[in-house]
Amino acid sequence: MSLRVGLPQGLLYFQYGTVIERFLSELGAEVVLSSETSRSTLDCGSALDEMCLASKIFFGHACSLRDKVDYLFLPRLVSIRPGQYTCPQIIGMPDVLKHNGGKLPPIIDVHVDMRQKPRQLYQAVIAVGQLLGRGVAASLYAWFRAWQCRECLRSGKKVLAGRPRLAVIGHPYIIYDRQVSLDVLGKLDRLGLTVVTPEMVDAGEINRGAAKLGKKLFWSNSYDIAGAAMALMEAGCPVQGIIFITCFACGPDALVGELIRQQAWRRNIPYMQLSLDEHTAEAGMVTRLEAFADMLKRRPKA
Amino acid sequence: MIITFPHMGSLAIVLKALFGNLGCQVLVPPPTTKHTMELGMRFSPETVCLPFKLMLGNFIEALEQGADTLVNCGGVGPCRLGYYSVIQQQILEQLGYRCTMLTIEPSLVDVYKQLKKIAPHASWGQIYNAFQVAGAKMNLLDDVGRVINSLRANEAVQGSVSSLWEQAVKAIDMAETCQDVGDLRQELQQRLAVVKTSTTKKSLRVAIVGEIYVMLEPFVNQNLERCLGNMGVEVCKTMFLSDYVKGHVLRRQKYVEIYRRLAALANPYLSHYVGGHGQKSIAYTLLKKQQGYDGIIQVYPFTCMPEVVAKNILPKVSQDVGMPVLTLAYDEQTGEAGITTRLEAFIDLLQYRQAKTYESGKLDCEQYRLQKGY
Repeated sequence: MSLRVGLPQGLLYFQYGTVIERFLSELGAEVVLSSETSRSTLDCGSALDEMCLASKIFFGHACSLRDKVDYLFLPRLVSIRPGQYTCPQIIGMPDVLKHNGGKLPPIIDVHVDMRQKPRQLYQAVIAVGQLLGRGVAASLYAWFRAWQCRECLRSGKKVLAGRPRLAVIGHPYIIYDRQVSLDVLGKLDRLGLTVVTPEMVDAGEINRGAAKLGKKLFWSNSYDIAGAAMALMEAGCPVQGIIFITCFACGPDALVGELIRQQAWRRNIPYMQLSLDEHTAEAGMVTRLEAFADMLKRRPKA
Repeated sequence: MIITFPHMGSLAIVLKALFGNLGCQVLVPPPTTKHTMELGMRFSPETVCLPFKLMLGNFIEALEQGADTLVNCGGVGPCRLGYYSVIQQQILEQLGYRCTMLTIEPSLVDVYKQLKKIAPHASWGQIYNAFQVAGAKMNLLDDVGRVINSLRANEAVQGSVSSLWEQAVKAIDMAETCQDVGDLRQELQQRLAVVKTSTTKKSLRVAIVGEIYVMLEPFVNQNLERCLGNMGVEVCKTMFLSDYVKGHVLRRQKYVEIYRRLAALANPYLSHYVGGHGQKSIAYTLLKKQQGYDGIIQVYPFTCMPEVVAKNILPKVSQDVGMPVLTLAYDEQTGEAGITTRLEAFIDLLQYRQAKTYESGKLDCEQYRLQKGY
């Protein structure tokens, strides 16, 4: 019987989930995903004090897999790009989980630290392979196959045209988690707006956008969202508005939100910041989105 | 060019000596007050950590008084401190201030470049001397501070140690050369040696761990060490300015060695660096237990990412080794009474635990009575 490996649907799952899922199944493991975020995920995650909402949710997801798997897949993602970190809470997550999660299955917490040595990733890949009883070549091949499947997913995204364009800027684990973001993307779509997210912006454009910000941001996710926001504001046909979605107590966002706000202010682009936490009520969110959408539609074109 | 910098405990004295001796005109920002906090809060992002707001407040107050060059620190993450300067500069620009922000990044080349901007005509001798004087002052301040923190608990006359500390700070600020600082060291050591103490009871020993800004800035931590000292508790701060400079900036061998040992100690609980002092908070909790301390107080600004990670692991550490830990998160709303109540409750708990240890026979009754003072 193959080993059951649990994969919590939170944090960087929204960026690398498909790759990791594919990688683990290529290695012959049975991947068990946690179910979508729900009220009970949030309640369980509230055991953590003062962590950001996304971390709490991740914790909830990991705990929900407790009795269903042989291993929890929870690599310590210190850095996924040279010269950058993920964020302190993501780095500390495996330890926080171990010491707060009660009785948990063994955790696969290989280090992924590409800050100084990008090739460290392959060591991590091999280490995971070994744990699952695979050799070096088989592990690397599995990773190669998995990475390819990511490439073909990325190229499939398309941007709609015609309606007012609005950028929704935020961490993927916030805006793509429908329970957390209260389906903000769907709501905006129904309000008649074309929504652009950082994931739809090309990596090259992100780099060019981020280069205009002065000092390079040292959190990879924040670098992406700030770079994408800059690229969308600077484009030949800039976005007509920006909604920055953050979760309460997100550290980097406190600074990055301000950074984008100032850049938007200089370019006379409307900007709204929505802060989410476990108490967020849907009505408050809807009112704000509607008001913002109305304002965008009625605003005279510059 | 009029240079200014943010406050952090006695940092201003050190930087004033450094830039003054480099031949710059220095403007020390007015001491951090409620007004500083309000200014900083008004123009900062809402959920950014407290040091950002207070530093911004310091800058605005100094700019109002005529400063035009701000010295700020940089960093490479993952703590937010490294990105403060970019945002603060933009906020100040938006407010209409004309100023230059010099951000000192942690690399030798960058330090040299900024130094050339600050003091373009200074000779090597002058630069060396400036660093020597500033370093001597920093070391003396911290050495005296360490003694003061443990002495205060047993002072015979309430307030005598604190007033000695205030005199010492003034005198150190006035000293001009390394020679002066050396003489002052002798004098202060003598004065500290003759402070009247009452030795009848054994005082509790508490270590403060956590984030450096909150630990060092008495305005933010509401004079935590003085408050504890007056309750009769010997305080050990695990991080002083000189420790930070020698360990993180100069990377002295001795400190690198200590930090490696601390990381090894924290390894079972937090096995990777999470920025700031998160890992050290856990390591010091374990270390101070071994050294026989009675309790730990963790301090940090609200939403500080590294310390929040440590905070979520500390209860487990505390449970495993039997070390009481009190966590205090400071923000702009922190009321004095709330902190005092918590400290009093914590100290009560520690005294109760101490009494129980003695009663359970580890010390005989006579000794216990002698030490409790009855």
